[in-house]
Amino acid sequence: MSLRTFILGLSASFGVAWLAIVVIPFFKMRNLEPIQLDEVADGTTGIFYPKRTGRIADGSRVYAQNGCYLCHSQLVRPTYAGNDLFRPDWGGLKSDGDRGDTRRETNAYDFTGEKFAQIGVTRMGPDLSNLGRRLDALHAKGESPEAWLYSFLYNPRSNPEHWKSTCPPQPFLFVKREIKGNPSPDALPVNAGEGFEIVPGPDAKALVSYLLSLKKDQKVPAVLNFAPAKKAGS
Amino acid sequence: MSSATTSSSEQDALLRAGIDRSLRHPVMFFLTSGAAWLAVSILLGIIASAKVHSPGLLSSCAWLTYGRVFPAHLNALVYGWGMQAAFAVIIWLMARLSRKECTMTGTILTAGHLWNLGVSLGVIGILSGNGTGIPWMEFPTFAWPVLLISYIAILIGSFIQFRVRPEGHVYISQWYLLAAMIWFPWIFITANTLLHCIPGHPVMGAAISAWFRSAIIFLFFMPVAIGAAYYLAPKVTGRPIFSYSLAKLGFWSLAIIAPWAGMQKLTGAPIPYFLPYLGAAATALIFVPAATAAYNTIRTMLSAEETLAVSPSLRFTVAGITGLVVLAAAAVFLNLPGSTLPLTQFSLSGYGFEILAIYGFFSLVMFGTAYFIVPRVTRREWLSSRLIKIHFLFSVYGIITVALITLFGGLQQGIGQEDWKQPWAAAASRAYPYAVANTVAWILILFSNLFFLLHLALMWIGLGRRSSHPTLLQSAHASSPHGAEGDIDNAGPATTH
Amino acid sequence: MSLPEQKPDLEDSINVSEAHGRLVREAAACVREKRIAANGSEPISLWVIALCGVVVLIAGGILGGAGDWFNYKATFREGYVRSAAPGAEDTGPQPKEALAAYMAKGAKIYSAKCNGCHGADAKGDGANYPSLVGSKWVVGSSEKLSMIILNGLQGPTSTGKTYGAGMPAQAAGLTAEDLAGIMTYIRNNFGNTTGDVITAEMAKAALDISAARAKAGQQVTGEELVADHDKALPGAPLDPKTMVDPVTLAPATAPAAQP
Repeated sequence: MSLRTFILGLSASFGVAWLAIVVIPFFKMRNLEPIQLDEVADGTTGIFYPKRTGRIADGSRVYAQNGCYLCHSQLVRPTYAGNDLFRPDWGGLKSDGDRGDTRRETNAYDFTGEKFAQIGVTRMGPDLSNLGRRLDALHAKGESPEAWLYSFLYNPRSNPEHWKSTCPPQPFLFVKREIKGNPSPDALPVNAGEGFEIVPGPDAKALVSYLLSLKKDQKVPAVLNFAPAKKAGS
Repeated sequence: MSSATTSSSEQDALLRAGIDRSLRHPVMFFLTSGAAWLAVSILLGIIASAKVHSPGLLSSCAWLTYGRVFPAHLNALVYGWGMQAAFAVIIWLMARLSRKECTMTGTILTAGHLWNLGVSLGVIGILSGNGTGIPWMEFPTFAWPVLLISYIAILIGSFIQFRVRPEGHVYISQWYLLAAMIWFPWIFITANTLLHCIPGHPVMGAAISAWFRSAIIFLFFMPVAIGAAYYLAPKVTGRPIFSYSLAKLGFWSLAIIAPWAGMQKLTGAPIPYFLPYLGAAATALIFVPAATAAYNTIRTMLSAEETLAVSPSLRFTVAGITGLVVLAAAAVFLNLPGSTLPLTQFSLSGYGFEILAIYGFFSLVMFGTAYFIVPRVTRREWLSSRLIKIHFLFSVYGIITVALITLFGGLQQGIGQEDWKQPWAAAASRAYPYAVANTVAWILILFSNLFFLLHLALMWIGLGRRSSHPTLLQSAHASSPHGAEGDIDNAGPATTH
Repeated sequence: MSLPEQKPDLEDSINVSEAHGRLVREAAACVREKRIAANGSEPISLWVIALCGVVVLIAGGILGGAGDWFNYKATFREGYVRSAAPGAEDTGPQPKEALAAYMAKGAKIYSAKCNGCHGADAKGDGANYPSLVGSKWVVGSSEKLSMIILNGLQGPTSTGKTYGAGMPAQAAGLTAEDLAGIMTYIRNNFGNTTGDVITAEMAKAALDISAARAKAGQQVTGEELVADHDKALPGAPLDPKTMVDPVTLAPATAPAAQP
């Protein structure tokens, strides 16, 4: 085999795959068009564009820098690829007060605002696609999701429900400072020493804002609605 | 000087010795700095693994938080050790097989230092909290152009040597190494450009990252290691390759199959539906080139069992090729979309598979090649067969543990994850024993590689044995006319016995 | 023989064979190397071929499940419908007792619409907003209450006191289920204990009655309430312990699963 044949063969064998599975899908998905809502199927017109509120760009940067994606996934797989949808609070909520069963698969519009979808490497911890939704339940108990998250990030095992959690503590996201006047409303319920308090630093605030924006169970248009047809009369 | 064995002619030996001499500094630089990075990487890996089962360990240090120390470990392993070991082996093998001395030593050494600088700054970048969050590409974005330029400067010489090689048969190792030299920049530039330079869809970015990880293993580390094994097996045993046509078939099957693999890590994600299935099928099909290469090299080595028993190079190579067989079987077993893929997709299996590939296969073959090359470039023999044995044994103990974690632990963890009726804590706690096993495995491997680094450093500064006989794992030369240790002194051949 | 460019190691040696020996020793490793012989052509073991064949079949099976190749538009399997969870009953929220379900619905509406004026404890403020606790028109016949909520009230309340301009109508945006919920809630909360459920059916009837009023669109007055609306809303009564779907408030067909 001559060098020329070799290079040709190599380019062909690699090039075809490179084009087919890397380059072409990359450029096609770059220009993903939003889904047009259909009057008949969806009840309204317009486009489907799941809104996300929160500091997504900053927060996802902190998420990436601190390696959260190594242990947490953000992918609710369809039932042919896994059992994620059967869990009561991963794809949404199984019994939401207003909407009933809101669970759904992750779709291509769920990561808007992020440069790189943190699908995740392993699941040492739970999937976070709907963390914001799960934490909303704290409102009913009179607690604040932000406070819960700050406390969890500072030391996951401080919460007795999570005494076995292997989530690493992130005290470096917080700032210890002197209490000037009144204690800050953000201050963590941690003993920081006489006259000191622990407050979230800017990275912690961005990260918590991002985590609370993780609510991926909005109503989807008919083309993305894979729920089985309801039985008549129920 | 005539000899009764079938060794090559003097002129040829001096030519080869000249090639070795010209490569002494580049090869030793890459091997020693690579081994140092390996030790650093394993240390980081131990810290990371310890934090999985004991999260409170060193938790106040931001630089050592799991989310930073684990990517630092992996990137140091891949770019610090893996690539530099590959550089050493590629430049030496290509020079020898093209029968050309290296004339670009200065360029290569400068580029090597630049590579090390890039990796160091990258690792510091990750640990200081400036990683990119893209698996295996966590170095801050300034690093990849630096690494790319160094890569080109290091390997351009080998490519030129191949172009000006003497007429004649091109050996299979040269094809494998040449292919690896071309594939890496193609893959590296693609992934880095599409993920850092051109804005794209976030989920497709994740898919390309998954493709990158797979491609680096199957299209760089695998061909370099297979190429090295195809060189060592016949060279050390003196027997021909078992079936040369099978070797060529293996090469082309790897070239055709491997570029499609990788996206099975994103099964169920909102990317074009067929991509993960092509990835899973291609990963399973890696069995074919892997099995053919393994079969060929092992049959070749087994045809000279006495040599296999005593040669350090062959022992490491055979262990590495066994790792390849295990890797090939794992590639099939762990990636079946209906059954095992949903279990292993987000479990320890992924990491275990990668470590099996990089350490259990690639690194063991690289060690074997290093044990062959270093005496030739330093003109000294290895100091102690005991050090070699420790290196071998503890590496093997460690990697067997990792293999078990991959195959059993990952599946156990996956089964727990998929059991949706149980609360999450039940699934999470299944990982605990395997995390502990992982820490133990890395400790064993660190132990072995500290000895390797020591041995290598001593060889580099010229403290090896002056001898005409290689350091073997059993003393096979006790009855040699040159004495048990060979001619140790420098005074010329003995005139009286 | 010595090559001119090969310098002997350190000491000069005029002993040719010694220099020669030294040179060869320095290339000793290369001297003892064997040439690579490439061209073995042994037959391949059938086992390896068979194993590879099995793997190719497995890969073929995987590819068979890949659907439409190179269809870049489809991100989900063609014709995918979620499969039911194997084993446990997994369809939707757990049914609740009717009284609790209606009250839960009503609680939400109360906190959105009513507690701004009537207060979180429904005691009002004595001057502008009447108390609902123990109010005759709240716990009395259901049609009276429904008319007040839907149309608002002008003039004195059941206690005889007048509260400013009266209550504005609350019908806008209120569905039958919402109305049923809010009525059930205030009749069974804040110390009121009528113990009955105003069903969505009854609330629907109330909407019709309200639209059919002679003074439709205007606030009701106490006289009109006592004269025209002092009766229960038409509709079959519902046992407060019936299990219903908490979202649609329809009677649940499935048996109650464990909490």
